[in-house]
Amino acid sequence: MGRSQGSLRGHIATPALLGLPVAWLIAFFVVPIVIVGLYSVDVYSLFPGAHGFTLGAWHGFLHSSVYLGLFWKSVKMALIVSAVVVALAYPVAYYLALSGTKRKYVLLLVLIAPFLTSYLLRVLAWKVILGNNGVLNSFLAWTGIRSANHPLSQLLYSRFAVILVLAYVWVPFVALPIFVSLDNLDRRLLEAASDLYASRWQAFLRVTFPLSLPGVVAAFFFVFIPTVGEFVTPSLVGGTSGYMYGNQIADLFSTGFPDWETGSVLALFLLGVVAVLTLCFARFTQAREAT
Amino acid sequence: MERKLSREELLKLAAAGGAAALATGPVGLARAALAAESGRLQVLDWAGYGNDGGQSMFAAYVKKYPNNKPQFTYMTNESDALAKLHAGLRPDVFRPYVGWTKYFATSGLVQPWDPKLLTNFKHLNPFMVKAGQYNGKQYGIPDDWGFDAILYRSDKVKPKAKSWSLIFDDRYKGKIAWFDDLNMLTVAGLYLGFKNPWNQTDAQLKQSQNLLKSKKKNVRLIWSSETNLWEAFGSGELWIAYAWPNDWVQMKKKGLKVVYMRPKEKPIAWVGMLMLLKGSPRPKLAHAYVDAWSSAKSGKWLEDNYGYGHANTLARPTSSDLLRALQLTNPRAVTLPNAYLDRDIPRRAVYARMWEEVKAA
Repeated sequence: MGRSQGSLRGHIATPALLGLPVAWLIAFFVVPIVIVGLYSVDVYSLFPGAHGFTLGAWHGFLHSSVYLGLFWKSVKMALIVSAVVVALAYPVAYYLALSGTKRKYVLLLVLIAPFLTSYLLRVLAWKVILGNNGVLNSFLAWTGIRSANHPLSQLLYSRFAVILVLAYVWVPFVALPIFVSLDNLDRRLLEAASDLYASRWQAFLRVTFPLSLPGVVAAFFFVFIPTVGEFVTPSLVGGTSGYMYGNQIADLFSTGFPDWETGSVLALFLLGVVAVLTLCFARFTQAREAT
Repeated sequence: MERKLSREELLKLAAAGGAAALATGPVGLARAALAAESGRLQVLDWAGYGNDGGQSMFAAYVKKYPNNKPQFTYMTNESDALAKLHAGLRPDVFRPYVGWTKYFATSGLVQPWDPKLLTNFKHLNPFMVKAGQYNGKQYGIPDDWGFDAILYRSDKVKPKAKSWSLIFDDRYKGKIAWFDDLNMLTVAGLYLGFKNPWNQTDAQLKQSQNLLKSKKKNVRLIWSSETNLWEAFGSGELWIAYAWPNDWVQMKKKGLKVVYMRPKEKPIAWVGMLMLLKGSPRPKLAHAYVDAWSSAKSGKWLEDNYGYGHANTLARPTSSDLLRALQLTNPRAVTLPNAYLDRDIPRRAVYARMWEEVKAA
């Protein structure tokens, strides 16, 4: 009797608990995506009048070297940003997790302190640093490395600027998952490695790094997924060469003449790629957990 | 004290109303209807033209109608406004630029103004007023205006000719700025010598697009806000820019040696056109608002503070530099032979797609 009551309670509790988040997900994620999908095939249109199903925008996109080229450029930029960020964040997370410092949580708080300021401000601050009259060029002129009349002008409004600023923005965020995986590391494994005469470097390569890999991969994807569709940073510091796929989506929706059909296609394509990557990531982590 | 009207009394009232309507005519009827307007005037306008700095332009309106102060929604460009209107936003007034007059007049989204209700209408530049007309009706009331031309640093740049070619010049790779607008295809068409750059054939458009694609390597920045341009130009990142007269004034103020070049292919003149939305419940208030914007006092303020021209021919800026840049003493400044007044682009969607492809390339 008690068992069946408990089971009944479970039957009621599960939908009650899941109902709200599922409804939320459907209303604000699934339905909007379906709407975007309908725009992409011209069933929905911004403009009144008769519209019929067409795959014209999809056909145009898949046969456009321009849009796919831009997507590939954004993927490459996102890969570079993700790799740089992980490489920079790993030592920080390693120190915090494994150095044995008692103030690691204080330091962690310091690390994520930049998040307390506006994202826009953090990006704009780089303009002051990278500009022709900025901190960096002024320093180079002061030291005599560069003439004041010939500053390094490719620092700002360039692909380099976008990669640098995005890397800066993401480092603290990415350090967290790596820190968590390193912090949960069973220290006895390191002691065992030491007992077996492994050098610190060998212990790192054979024990620490492989065990922190899920955190590293998670961190990599945490950066890669939003970066590939990024548009705020490129529009502020990217100039012509730093223009990314996300900028194109935003522009198709809002500049020139509204082209929501093509904009929707680009947005859905990005979503599809990101979804596939997320699935791969999930499979990877599941596989690692299984082993 | 409430009293119900009998059927007889109602008929009497209706007859009296009818007689009054006959006596005063349609204008009287319209005025009677307008007297009932209520609520805040809904304005869809560009940033800087609302309560974020542009208050002086409509101060006279606010003084006269304190209970119907304007409430603003901002538009980033006409395309954005169009999307907002189709998405269900219902402003009373909004401001596309002159090249969009025909598009909106024929879109069914707007209705013509009644110039008789605008006391300042007679002072507005007649060429700009005409540009706001479609089929003899006044769909756009012109106010702010300026040119698309070329700004360059005279201490760094030696143009080979007074031509739009300067914004494509390979010698100044990495020092050039374009404007983020499909108008760039029109400019390319002007440079290439096409007869009607606003209505290019497919082959001409392809040629214009190829020119832009091939010269994009020289372009450091494609600006969409003036502050963005001023920042980059002022710090020396840029030496040459597709720019507006005010940009020249601002850069001069920064102490830079700058020239505002009028290319031999001619600059393009743009004029802001305030439009009245169809079905607006506040047409009288909308007229009063636009009238306030159109006064000489507002015009002078706009010229002095924003550096744009104003359609009111009585308005004069304090700055003689701006007076020269805008050629304010020449009423034909915005039209031939001085400049091309921006015009309708029949295949705007095609132009837009091709411009987006230039940016993406």
